[in-house]
Amino acid sequence: MKTPNPLHHFVDNEKFIKRLMLMPAVLVLIGIMIPFLIGVATSLTDKKLYTGNFNFIFLSNYINNFKDPVFLTSLGNTLAYVIMAILMQLPLAILAALLLDIPSRIRGFMRSVLVFPLLIPPIVSSLMWKTMMQPNSGVLNYLLSKLGIGPFPWLTSVDTALFSLVVIDTWVYLPFITIILLSGLQSLPQDILEAAQVDGASPIRTFFAIKLRWLKSSILLVLLFRVCDSLKAFELIYSTTRGGPLNASRTLNIMAYEEAFRWSSIGKAMSILFTLWILAYIASTFLMREWNKSGIE
Amino acid sequence: MNNTPNKLLKTALRYAAYLALLFVILFPLYWILTMSLKNFKDIIAYPPRFLFTPTFDNYKQILFNGGSFSDLQGIPEFLRYVINSSITTFSAVALGLVLGLPAAYVLGRENSKANDRIAGNFMSYRFAPELVVILPLYSIYKKIGFYDTFPGMILVHQLITLPLIIWIMRGFFREVPKEMEEAASMDGANHWVIFFRIMLPIVKSGIGSAMIISFVFSWNNLLFGLVMSGGATMPVTMGILQAMTFDQIKWGEMAASAVISSIPGIIIAIFAQRFLVKGLTMGAVK
Repeated sequence: MKTPNPLHHFVDNEKFIKRLMLMPAVLVLIGIMIPFLIGVATSLTDKKLYTGNFNFIFLSNYINNFKDPVFLTSLGNTLAYVIMAILMQLPLAILAALLLDIPSRIRGFMRSVLVFPLLIPPIVSSLMWKTMMQPNSGVLNYLLSKLGIGPFPWLTSVDTALFSLVVIDTWVYLPFITIILLSGLQSLPQDILEAAQVDGASPIRTFFAIKLRWLKSSILLVLLFRVCDSLKAFELIYSTTRGGPLNASRTLNIMAYEEAFRWSSIGKAMSILFTLWILAYIASTFLMREWNKSGIE
Repeated sequence: MNNTPNKLLKTALRYAAYLALLFVILFPLYWILTMSLKNFKDIIAYPPRFLFTPTFDNYKQILFNGGSFSDLQGIPEFLRYVINSSITTFSAVALGLVLGLPAAYVLGRENSKANDRIAGNFMSYRFAPELVVILPLYSIYKKIGFYDTFPGMILVHQLITLPLIIWIMRGFFREVPKEMEEAASMDGANHWVIFFRIMLPIVKSGIGSAMIISFVFSWNNLLFGLVMSGGATMPVTMGILQAMTFDQIKWGEMAASAVISSIPGIIIAIFAQRFLVKGLTMGAVK
């Protein structure tokens, strides 16, 4: 009676091995969770970066944030950045993907060139564009003047700074979006397209009725990446404008960094970051669920 | 009847679009490359100079003399940044593979609610603002003496490498047909053996993709260096920033250091593009 069922033992052993294989990564996950939770707790205090003493002030940081005009501006900038980036990048990427989907001799070459911006450090991209965007001496305004378009203040003006950053963001991330959409297009079964052709559907109709619908899953994935990445955009902004001029390009992530390392208010910084985290969490959970659903259909 | 001219026009339009796209992507890269080869006078010239006598002075400055970077301990500062980045990035990818591959195998092969939740949790760190973790971690590191050390940096970089490797490899493990595993387990092999002897060789190309992608993203990162490193572990991306804040902006040296720091990415773009695309789109198309 007491002899263990060998089969049972085998199954248990299998489970054990699987848990063992998962264990190290899960430990890291817990390791990440600890500072995160400490951070959330810190957001409820008035802690300074370099001093040990602090008081629990509960939600005061959060309440003060929403009374702080700089915070509200940063929140607005963050959302504007996300929306502008999506509106600019998604249509352009769809066009680029449609273009690269056409069989052609130089398609392979185009695709290799396309990944360049994604692979060079974002700081390089931003400094590169910053030098090109110099209002008086930059090559961009020089080229535009050749086309008869007047000097543009780019990163130096309150009105254009955030938009200029979105332009840089577009240069960096358009290739990534295009690649995802392109591979989505290329997985479209040929017989569907042929059937449309037989029916005499115009290219525009084929695009809206077939291709765009087929791309739904890829577009959701793109949104998932791009919404979350633009929400937390940091390197591009930090290395070009640092939030200026006059807070025109200050986002929550930049503001939090400055609060922590410039003003050493880590409690306040964490309250800003946690607010940003909540935004990213809502967006990613929603988009991930939609994306999973779109895959099942 | 007018089919042929129509077709010709379409082809012409298509190539015009290719050209426009190429110009937009390549011009900034061309510009920084030429800037790194210009002397100061050519850099600040207006109208911008498209023709100039190239010079390697900027590269010589940063590689052999330390350039505008302070020169410590005999090794030019910029070279030290390159070495620092190499140590951190290679180790971070290696550690990410050791931790991530077995986990991705389990998460990819076995669909359960719990596993989905674990996988989702890993990915959520890909989407969350990194500062929310590394700012508290900064205080902890300072306290336990991990600040500005390589083990500390390598651990922080797991925030990049581990989610990427798990996400990409989970997709590759999923693609392996069930029969391969079943046949092996019939012969009495356990998951450990199946993983090492059967699965890893099959997903070799996937491991290539995961390595490349996590390498590039880890190498390119600036934020972790900004928060977690002082003088000892400062990465090359910080080095570029250094050229800007030192006695005004040394445009030429900044451009040269930017070009050097882009080399790994450019090499990968040219030689390993296929790996890259496969990895990036893993899971995008079902």
